[in-house]
Amino acid sequence: MATGIKGQDREDAVAGWLFMTPALIIFTLFLVIPILFAVYYSFTDWNGISPPSEANVIGTDNYEEVLVGGGIRQSDFFKALKNTTYFALGVVPVQTILALLLAVVVNQRLLRFKDFFRTAFYFPSITSSVAISLIFLFLYQRSGLINNLLETVTFGAWEPIAWMTDARGLIHIILEKLGITLREGPEFLRSELLGLTVWDWLSGPSVALTAIMIMNIWTTIGTMMIIFLAALQDIPSSIYEAAAVDGATAWPTFRRITVPMLRPTIFFVVTLGLIGTYQVFDQIYVMSSGGPAKTTLTMAFMVYRNGFRNSEMGLGAAIAILLFIIIFILTLIQRRITGSEAAY
Amino acid sequence: MSRKWFTLLSILLVLSLVLVACGGNDNVNEPGNTADVNLGEEVEEAVEEEPVVEPTEAPAEEPAEEATEAPAEEPAGDVVALNLMGWSSSDAENTRLQQVVDDFNASRDDIEVTLNFVPDYDTTLQTRLAGGQPPDVFYIDSFRLPDLVEAGAVEPAEGRIDDPDDFYESLRAAFTYDGTFYCPPKDFSTLALEYNVDMFDAAGLDYPTEDWTWEDLEAAAAELSNPDEGVYGMVLSADMARWIAFLYQAGGAVANEDFTEMQLTSEEALAATEFYVGLVEQGYAQQPSELDSGWAGEAFGKGRAAMAMEGNWIIPFLADQYPDVNYGVVQLPAGEQEATMAFTVCYAVAADIPDDRKEAAFEVVNYLTGSEGMKAWTDLGLAMPTRQSLRDQWLEQFPDLQPFLDGAEHAYPWQFIPGFQDVLDTVNNGLQEAFVGSMLPDQVLEQAQEVGEEVLNR
Repeated sequence: MATGIKGQDREDAVAGWLFMTPALIIFTLFLVIPILFAVYYSFTDWNGISPPSEANVIGTDNYEEVLVGGGIRQSDFFKALKNTTYFALGVVPVQTILALLLAVVVNQRLLRFKDFFRTAFYFPSITSSVAISLIFLFLYQRSGLINNLLETVTFGAWEPIAWMTDARGLIHIILEKLGITLREGPEFLRSELLGLTVWDWLSGPSVALTAIMIMNIWTTIGTMMIIFLAALQDIPSSIYEAAAVDGATAWPTFRRITVPMLRPTIFFVVTLGLIGTYQVFDQIYVMSSGGPAKTTLTMAFMVYRNGFRNSEMGLGAAIAILLFIIIFILTLIQRRITGSEAAY
Repeated sequence: MSRKWFTLLSILLVLSLVLVACGGNDNVNEPGNTADVNLGEEVEEAVEEEPVVEPTEAPAEEPAEEATEAPAEEPAGDVVALNLMGWSSSDAENTRLQQVVDDFNASRDDIEVTLNFVPDYDTTLQTRLAGGQPPDVFYIDSFRLPDLVEAGAVEPAEGRIDDPDDFYESLRAAFTYDGTFYCPPKDFSTLALEYNVDMFDAAGLDYPTEDWTWEDLEAAAAELSNPDEGVYGMVLSADMARWIAFLYQAGGAVANEDFTEMQLTSEEALAATEFYVGLVEQGYAQQPSELDSGWAGEAFGKGRAAMAMEGNWIIPFLADQYPDVNYGVVQLPAGEQEATMAFTVCYAVAADIPDDRKEAAFEVVNYLTGSEGMKAWTDLGLAMPTRQSLRDQWLEQFPDLQPFLDGAEHAYPWQFIPGFQDVLDTVNNGLQEAFVGSMLPDQVLEQAQEVGEEVLNR
């Protein structure tokens, strides 16, 4: 990019712009303008029903309402932020590691039926997520396949649960097993922070949210695997040959050559994962609509809920902008941590 | 190099993905094209939407062609082409409504109505309203009415509907907001008690009657429950739309008469909540999800619960999915008083269309909710007539549905104030928590009261 158009012909530049025009027009029309509109509406009280021209500009009221308002909107916003964060913390590492392992497996030259496995692992990613969600609703029923499977595997020790209506947080369950409850625990658990009690913040993902997380990992892993696979095939075989000559065995080769060589790809996959998880919507919409007890209320779903069901489009837009800012900051932080350059 | 690339790429990804949801929407909602909709455009618009429309849409093409020829027809008299938008229900109902509309079209040569069933109705309606191109006539669920009225989307029907006093009072109330009657009810449903005859026989219990009280309900539910076999006396959802019937039966209310003060922490509300939650806590009732079902009707059909409290929509569902279930229907049991809920939908006329179209639209609405149109529409026995004058005739045809229709006499409307969705969500969550014991009934009510007050003060 830095080399730019400098010594190029003017004609070439014109041709270049011409070729880009259709894409630029579409980009401006469907991305830039809507984004600017969303920013504008986030400062209005637009209800999403009457013509937008009738909306009043109300300054930063929407932002104040969700960030420091002290009411249901604030507690919902931070509930959604909490749920979404638990969702991302659970999904991103697992999906990245599993996808990498799968990619390494299907990249083995000696593996038989390689194509079959590649297709099989990739398949969930290209299936409609609505269809998958509906099927998982059945699997997650109390007498559904998943409970049956767990029951068989644990020789009957597993108590069947209705996954999608179970609002108990995983960390809460563990804490309660340890004898710590809201009523009997230390005082600070009951203190309030940003509209939620500390106890609420520490809930962990609810059983229902965990169920959606598991499904989400399963559906996204294929895409991530393909990305890793492409990157793996890009690593020059000379490096591996050199390692083999030096007597490196499988694990050190993986640990010291494959992973460092994949660093930019890992960054890319984690970024994609973060964005995807912070915006999880369709599966929530189909499977739980934010319930039970708002434990699957995610930020993207809240944008939709406020914009359409509660007729508060301005507020919804403000939440969307906040979501954008959050993801942007997270991506920057994550870039610091992973680093995007190949390092070896 | 690659660092820059990645920064750019990640910014683009973030931007595009975050705003995709709002993006589509904003485009539809762009300001500018308000009001001055002529006939041709309006019908073309309907055709544009075709991809998202149900199969019944096919006839829409006809008027579209007509509209392009409109100038040629003009000398013969202006035909007002109107668009009626609703959501799709069962095939039988969709076909029947189309017939009723066809009958109307045949009887008039100055008005041509096109019926549109759209999926994801609320979103479609909202974008069309905001885009300044509303459908001329559209469905409104009573719960959504306050939001739509506040947004100025609905033309008041006050004084423009034939014989409005003929509608059941509870249904008129459902579409009256701030003292103004906005739209006539298309049909309605009430909650009643469905019971499984075989399960009652097996337990040797008398069938529920109209005179049942809460105590009778609880006693029978206790008798019929067998948690070891996963069978319960009743199926109850963590749903305000069911709980509220008990609230009214207890003599309580959501708020005072003119909705300036929430009354959810009243003794009556507490009694209702304790009874409702108590049924579950004591193991006499269970939620649908615990009975491997998506909703109460399914749990009832599967024989996992001996009683359910649902509306008449459960009848075609059971006939279709569980034809072997032997069941009966009675009105809900009474607490301090008799009460049930009325869920109803109306035909609204858009506020944002020219006056001559409004007039034509009200003529259509008058036909559809008048005795002729209403009779044709409710003849299937799926929807119930909202006009009291049609009651006897309808009951002769469908005597089994009498408990549902009788419910209209003491039904409460499912309509509150703008922004009430927040209270609804809070009550639903609270009930859910109370069912599993992580919240107490009075905490549920306090929380709901607090949110209600917040919504009132917005």
